[in-house]
Amino acid sequence: MKGLNILLRKLIKTGAGRVRFIMAVIGLSIAMVLILSAVQLQSNYNELLRGSGNRDSIANFLVINKILTDQNLKNTTLSDAEINDIKGQSFTDAVGVLHSSRFKASIQSSSTQFPFYTDIAFESVPDSFLDVSTKEWYWDESSNFVPIIVPGMFLDIYNFQFSLSQGLPQLTREVVKMIFFQVNIYDENGMSHSMRGRVVGFSDRISSLLVPQSFMDWANQQYGTAGNKAPSRIIIRTKDSGDPGLAAYLKEKNLSTDQDKTRFSRYRQVVDLVVNISGATGLLMLLFAILIFTLFIQLTISSCKDEIKLLLTLGASPKQIARFLMRQFFPSNLIIITASLAIVCILQYLAHAVLQRQEVHISALISYPTLLTAALVLFFIWMVNLINIRKYIKINH
Amino acid sequence: MAGLFLWFNNQSKHMTISLHEVVPVPLKEKLLKQVSDIWNREIVFTTPEWIKIKAPSGTGKTTFIHSLYKLRTDYTGSIQWGERNIASLNAEELAVLRQQKISVVFQDLRLFPNLTAFENIELNRVLQTPYCEKEQITVMAQMLGVDHIMHQPASLCSYGEQQRVSIIRALVQPFEWLIMDEPFSHLDKVNAGKAAALITAACKERNAGIIITDLHDDDHFDYTRKLVL
Repeated sequence: MKGLNILLRKLIKTGAGRVRFIMAVIGLSIAMVLILSAVQLQSNYNELLRGSGNRDSIANFLVINKILTDQNLKNTTLSDAEINDIKGQSFTDAVGVLHSSRFKASIQSSSTQFPFYTDIAFESVPDSFLDVSTKEWYWDESSNFVPIIVPGMFLDIYNFQFSLSQGLPQLTREVVKMIFFQVNIYDENGMSHSMRGRVVGFSDRISSLLVPQSFMDWANQQYGTAGNKAPSRIIIRTKDSGDPGLAAYLKEKNLSTDQDKTRFSRYRQVVDLVVNISGATGLLMLLFAILIFTLFIQLTISSCKDEIKLLLTLGASPKQIARFLMRQFFPSNLIIITASLAIVCILQYLAHAVLQRQEVHISALISYPTLLTAALVLFFIWMVNLINIRKYIKINH
Repeated sequence: MAGLFLWFNNQSKHMTISLHEVVPVPLKEKLLKQVSDIWNREIVFTTPEWIKIKAPSGTGKTTFIHSLYKLRTDYTGSIQWGERNIASLNAEELAVLRQQKISVVFQDLRLFPNLTAFENIELNRVLQTPYCEKEQITVMAQMLGVDHIMHQPASLCSYGEQQRVSIIRALVQPFEWLIMDEPFSHLDKVNAGKAAALITAACKERNAGIIITDLHDDDHFDYTRKLVL
């Protein structure tokens, strides 16, 4: 086989149309980088949008409440029917009800060095909607402290506004988590019941002071004043917060959500645009590159028409010649696609490193769909090569 | 007795070549007026027959060789290799049979001009699982007196040299039939004799049949049948 290939290489010169070949190589390389980048970009976006354990996954969760107007003052609760309707929408993956405390409460410092006191109210939400995962997020009647999750934004306000103006020390998240304070709950008669509390985490998803559901149920039953009031706010998990149907639904039902989250739909438009442009350009270039490769194969075969004809006459099988030609043409395609994949790997790693510093986590490695795309394109080119080679050999036969 | 059995057994394995009322379309009118042992007849060649076909000019000698080797198909009637009508062979099947069963020496020699004489022969040797060792090429080249031009491009060799190279090329592959179209046309009597001796040895070794065409009578081989085209 080796001996035959050496002789065939002398007979079938692939040097013809070198310029065309180089053009095809460049074209295919750019096309592959564009296509693979587009797929990777989409994968990264999906990861940000849908990935669990991603700090930037706020896009998945929307806290929804009625828009407060003069007409619906004191009547902003959401009925079961309304909640069920939201549950039934295509954009909704899951709905969680935010239960609010129906008792008065306050917190105060247990240290004299750092005195503070404030009235507060709590909310609770099913654990699956939390973006904080800590073993301390647990409460039962024998617990010696109440774990609390605070919006990350609160600490930012304290650190960057309040502490500066009041001459108070700035506090890191870690320091805050170490401070125990006193939680006071008042019953119907105004009697205060004290317990210890501590911040166990910061949420970027829900802007509310959160306590475990079990604590909320217990405290509402023990000290709650009003009856079992319907919730005013719910949280939904959605596949895509940029879904235009979602925005339309909220508008129609006079509901509102965190305005900030609409930025994700804008991001999505940008991502979609980039993915589409890069994907379409890549696809177009891929087609042209394959066309040029096809012409190159055609040129090579027709420039060796006589040799191939005599080879067949002497008893060389079309398959033998096709196999030889595939070996001449296909490795360059394999190299191009591998190199493109390597470039996209490097780009992905760099993007990962840059975004890491901005607390946006994307994978350092390329996604499976990207690999799959490369494999598919490779397979496609292999097929096109083989079909062309067989066709042109047959024509010469 | 055992030897005879083996001989018979060997015979039965070899492929026959048969022609059924074959008439080339371009020569049809002319040929139907002539008397021929081949055209428009039922003929079966069985190994190890060594058949001489004498063909005066214009009787379709090369047409016959090319039809037999399936280089052209413009004839009426049918040609069979073994049980198969060669018209029904696809390109892959044809290649296998040309590699394993039928070897050929063309009148117009058909060497690759860009390859050396040696490479031309080597190519046919490695096209299939080699029948003989590479060194055998040099031995045969020495026997035919062309060893000195083995590493020249075929295009620079004389006709006589090219003819011997194409004979050696035909002998380095396995075959059951050796088809030759005026194989000694460019050789003097001495060289033709050497080539015939080499061919005889190769065919005896394979128990192969020979179909040879020429313009004249000759006694290069011990023919079992002599036909006129």
